[in-house]
Amino acid sequence: MSAEESNTDNLPDQELPETPTPADTELGQTRMEVAYGAGDGDDDAQAIVARKASMGVLYEQIYRPWNGELGPRWVRNYAIFRHHVYGIFRGKGHRYYNPFVRLSILVIFLTSLTPIAMIFLSVTISGGEGSDWLNRMWGVNRYNLWGQVLGYFPRNLCMWPLLTALVVGGMISDDRKNGTSAIYFSRPVTRADYTAMKYLSSAVVLGFVIVFSYMLYYTSAIVFNGEGWAYLIDTLPIFLGGLLAGILLVITYTSIGMALSSVSQSRFFAAIGFLAIIFGTKVVALMIELIFETTVFYILSPYDSLAHLGQWLVGIPANYEHSLALSIISILLYNAASIGLLVTRVRSLEVTRE
Amino acid sequence: MSTKTTPAVLLEKCSKWYGQVIGINDVSLAIDGGVTGILGPNGAGKSTLFKLLMGRLKPSSGNVRLFGVDPWVSTSPYRRVGYVAETEKLYDWMTGHDFVSTLARLHGMTREEASDRASHVLDFVGLSDVQNKEIGKYSKGMRQRVKIAHALVHDPDLIILDEPLHGCDPIARTSIMSVIRDLGSQGKTVLVSSHILDEIERITEQIVILHNGRLLALGNLHAIRDLLDKHPHRILIRTENPRKLAESFVPEDPVYGVRFAEDGALEVLTNDLSAAHEVLPRVIVDSGLKVTSIENPDDNLEALLGYLVGDAS
Amino acid sequence: MMDRQGRGLAETVWTRLDRKAGAITELTIRQLRHRLSTWVVLAVGFLLLIALLALFIGGIRDGWEPIDNDGDAHDWDGDGYPAGQEFKYGSDPFDRFSFPGSGEFVEEGSFEWGSVGLYSGNHTWRSATGIFTYTWLDDSQIGGGGVLEVDSLEPCPDGELFENYWLDWGEGCRMGVDRIVVHDASFVGNGTFRVEEGYMAQWGYVADSFDVEPEPASNYIDEDDIDWTGDPNKINGFDDDGDCLRIGWPEDPPPDFVWWSWEPNHDSDRNGNGVDCDVEWIADSNGNIVAIIPDDNVDEDPSEENLAYEDAHRAFIIGTGKIAFVMILGIFLPLFLALGLVRDETENGTLHYLLSKPIHRGEFITYRILGYLVVAGGFVLIMSLLMGLVTASLGPGDSIFRLKDVIVWLGIAFATILALAAYGAIFNTLGLLSSRYGVYIALVIGVYEFVMAVLTLGGAELIPVLSVSHWTLQLIDSIVLIVWPNTIEMHIIASAFDLPSGITAFWSPPAHTLGTESPFISGLISVIVLLLITSLMILFGQSQFKRREIM
Repeated sequence: MSAEESNTDNLPDQELPETPTPADTELGQTRMEVAYGAGDGDDDAQAIVARKASMGVLYEQIYRPWNGELGPRWVRNYAIFRHHVYGIFRGKGHRYYNPFVRLSILVIFLTSLTPIAMIFLSVTISGGEGSDWLNRMWGVNRYNLWGQVLGYFPRNLCMWPLLTALVVGGMISDDRKNGTSAIYFSRPVTRADYTAMKYLSSAVVLGFVIVFSYMLYYTSAIVFNGEGWAYLIDTLPIFLGGLLAGILLVITYTSIGMALSSVSQSRFFAAIGFLAIIFGTKVVALMIELIFETTVFYILSPYDSLAHLGQWLVGIPANYEHSLALSIISILLYNAASIGLLVTRVRSLEVTRE
Repeated sequence: MSTKTTPAVLLEKCSKWYGQVIGINDVSLAIDGGVTGILGPNGAGKSTLFKLLMGRLKPSSGNVRLFGVDPWVSTSPYRRVGYVAETEKLYDWMTGHDFVSTLARLHGMTREEASDRASHVLDFVGLSDVQNKEIGKYSKGMRQRVKIAHALVHDPDLIILDEPLHGCDPIARTSIMSVIRDLGSQGKTVLVSSHILDEIERITEQIVILHNGRLLALGNLHAIRDLLDKHPHRILIRTENPRKLAESFVPEDPVYGVRFAEDGALEVLTNDLSAAHEVLPRVIVDSGLKVTSIENPDDNLEALLGYLVGDAS
Repeated sequence: MMDRQGRGLAETVWTRLDRKAGAITELTIRQLRHRLSTWVVLAVGFLLLIALLALFIGGIRDGWEPIDNDGDAHDWDGDGYPAGQEFKYGSDPFDRFSFPGSGEFVEEGSFEWGSVGLYSGNHTWRSATGIFTYTWLDDSQIGGGGVLEVDSLEPCPDGELFENYWLDWGEGCRMGVDRIVVHDASFVGNGTFRVEEGYMAQWGYVADSFDVEPEPASNYIDEDDIDWTGDPNKINGFDDDGDCLRIGWPEDPPPDFVWWSWEPNHDSDRNGNGVDCDVEWIADSNGNIVAIIPDDNVDEDPSEENLAYEDAHRAFIIGTGKIAFVMILGIFLPLFLALGLVRDETENGTLHYLLSKPIHRGEFITYRILGYLVVAGGFVLIMSLLMGLVTASLGPGDSIFRLKDVIVWLGIAFATILALAAYGAIFNTLGLLSSRYGVYIALVIGVYEFVMAVLTLGGAELIPVLSVSHWTLQLIDSIVLIVWPNTIEMHIIASAFDLPSGITAFWSPPAHTLGTESPFISGLISVIVLLLITSLMILFGQSQFKRREIM
């Protein structure tokens, strides 16, 4: 071994240091304090670092029961819900959403609001051909209301599945990967509550973008065009039909996404799996329709089943030849299977890092 | 380049910082031959040092040379280096033999050569009986040993082991230590890092002490100890009557002071630890007091570091 | 001496590299093999293709119903005569009282719309709605289904017609022994008719009627096949069924109303080449057919055996190749398998084992991608061969085994593997660039590529140029055209004769041929673009990875 010049000098010729007092090392923190970092009443309890106890000492552990009042169940559940939803707006103290995910949600939300801008444009340049054309293209009618939530291009081709994949993908898989479900299950939270709140918060985030933008679109059309009660009476049933279709879409997508999230340990497997299901079934059914001339395979596609039902709800002619009942059964089966899978997976979720 | 002119490991005024955090601070070091223990508490820069040596990190300033070659630029010195990383993860689905032989093939060995070498090194680290079991079923000590085996498979001249004893039970510890000692006696250069002085002491006498990224001490452990003997040592004695025992210690020559610790133990202060230990039994017997324990709290890394860096740490 | 040594050294370096490549590739394959998600993904892909094959085999077993492309085999008005026969005799195919030999109805009187009243006599009654009390009712069937079937009338329900019950058009019911209620029906009888309020009735007699035996509908299916001599300079096309030339038709002069042509008037030389009732095939200077213009009613109902069957068969291969292979396997396999090739190793820390070996980081990336390609590409290749075996043995045509099917499938596999390589390189590089954002960006790129593939299928040529899927799909288009050069003719034929065609839905002539229209050029360009994307992405990933500090 050969030492280089620079560091040898700070070795031997040091001043005599003060002998460290063992005082501050001897009084250890209690384990509870270390774990929870709060000195709420445990200050007088102490445990001494074992190294010092040369003869071996058993320390009596006193766990004082907490006699406070447990908040009602909904308050606890609301806390879980809030944790997931607020995370989109504020990272601190809430669930972490990747900045990219937040950005995507914002972009998708703004894109889904474009018809409002178009209606506004048509009002401001009122009169003239351009306004007419804008109103025809983006104004409220059965087709546009349907298209706002269920149109394939661009909404169900580019936006909604991606949104679902990004938001729902990590909901449960992250907990499985990091073992963070212990945070919930070590507290008075049942697995059912945990699942339900995760489900609800994902659905609310999706609903905010998909359904809320739809409602905004309808109301802004009324406000901008100065429509009266007669208009409302005419269009409200169509609007409600579309609203129901949108809610069904949110529920179905959330169910499938949550189920995939619960079976995997990687958010990306869940996300990619979701996209694969939505896109894969759609194009395969499309291909089968073109070659074998039957639309019945569209029941395999969650999107098409929802679109079929949505067309009926809004009252526009169906694109599909098979019976509507089949599509409804398909939606029900997809939801039932997904929720069933989700429930069984969460029930058997191990509270560790898997 | 031959080993005679270039040391296996050479760092010249090498620093590495991650943003505001300093990993290694102006370290110059040359190591060649024998087993060297790299000592330091967590965060002292041991892993940073090894990662610089293995070309994982680029030095912020200064030079790193492995057999005279910059490892950040070229992978060629790795032919002569075996590295046991700190990581706990292994390919759990592979058998130990598979793992070692697959990695051996990355040295350009044929399948047969690799398989032979793998069996050989697994035997050397004492895993030959479990070599066809999946790594996922291995105990912690076996996992550490299979990591060592993969680093030895190409018969390297330099072996770098990052915390090889971490998390092992005493039996595994002993067997790993003997493996490391064997390697040293085969004339290889071995770097072992640890934050436990005792472990290193049982393997080698050659040590490097790192603290907060700085090189604190370098050389023979005992030589360093002797240097430190100028510094005060404490002997902690627990007894039923510390005041009375203190009285009998005060006149003794190697003792320059006594103190009472807060829990009532007696602290005997000395500049010459071995001389103090020589008089200790006599004084205690003479006093006729019942002593429950005698501790040498300074005979550990923290104490050593405490002396080396003063109270600043 | 020096030379030999140099060669020896080169060999040593090469074989050592080779061994390292082998080791990393093998490690990657084994790693993928030990991941559950790989098997799930491959199994889903396998099931998808098996399901498509099952549909294909089901379609074969059902056989191919001959299709009446021009619609003249159908009895539109329900009088028992197929439209083609009616047309020959000049009767109106949409009027059930007008059929070959039906003669002419001479009206003697009528109740106009909304009138009320009674009329008695022995007449032929037409479009009559009301109650008929008779002494004689003709129960012999005249002509087809247009006439009321008096023998099999159901008893009327209680109450009033249109108030308490409803009768279909042309139907009636029996109210008593000598009384029937009818709705817009036609019959012959002697009695008194009371018209329903708000409806009408006509009476008169039929002149010049004669009996014509209805022809079976099959006479009018596949009756006019495409007659293509293979030489555009010869006279092509022949009016097999004579509905263009109209020689020897019973009705003389032939009627001008051509109901199935979109044109109101029949034009036996619509293409204006001076030849009546032929088909003009226009070829470019290379002899490739670029357009087909038929005269009216020539070659309008070709045999499915020759055309539609082949068309559907190719459409299945192209459609499956493009959608199942490129758009689903091609995009989703890399997303599942390639994203974590290096990223996962970095995150786990297992990368340290691999990088402490004398292997260059750049090589490492390449070999990892190679290993992934062996798994994903091997799967694609095996699946395409399986599809090829089934379609080649069950496909149409005389040959027992359609070798060209297998070649197209191999081409599809080749294109898909190129896509797998390009996506693998892109996703792997993204995973390397940023372990935090890279994966999200990969998801967005996956969706983007899918959208671009949909646009490409829809015929867009410009926007999707900036995507891997566009070039992959074009490569398949090119390969199809190379192996089956007549696909483009089938494409043109299908649009010229307005035949239902899957080829037009899934295949379009390659767009980027640099003006040469050669599928070899477009295929080559596609391959070059895909390889370029792959290698650029790998190089980019390598340069990033080389400078990466690994904690």
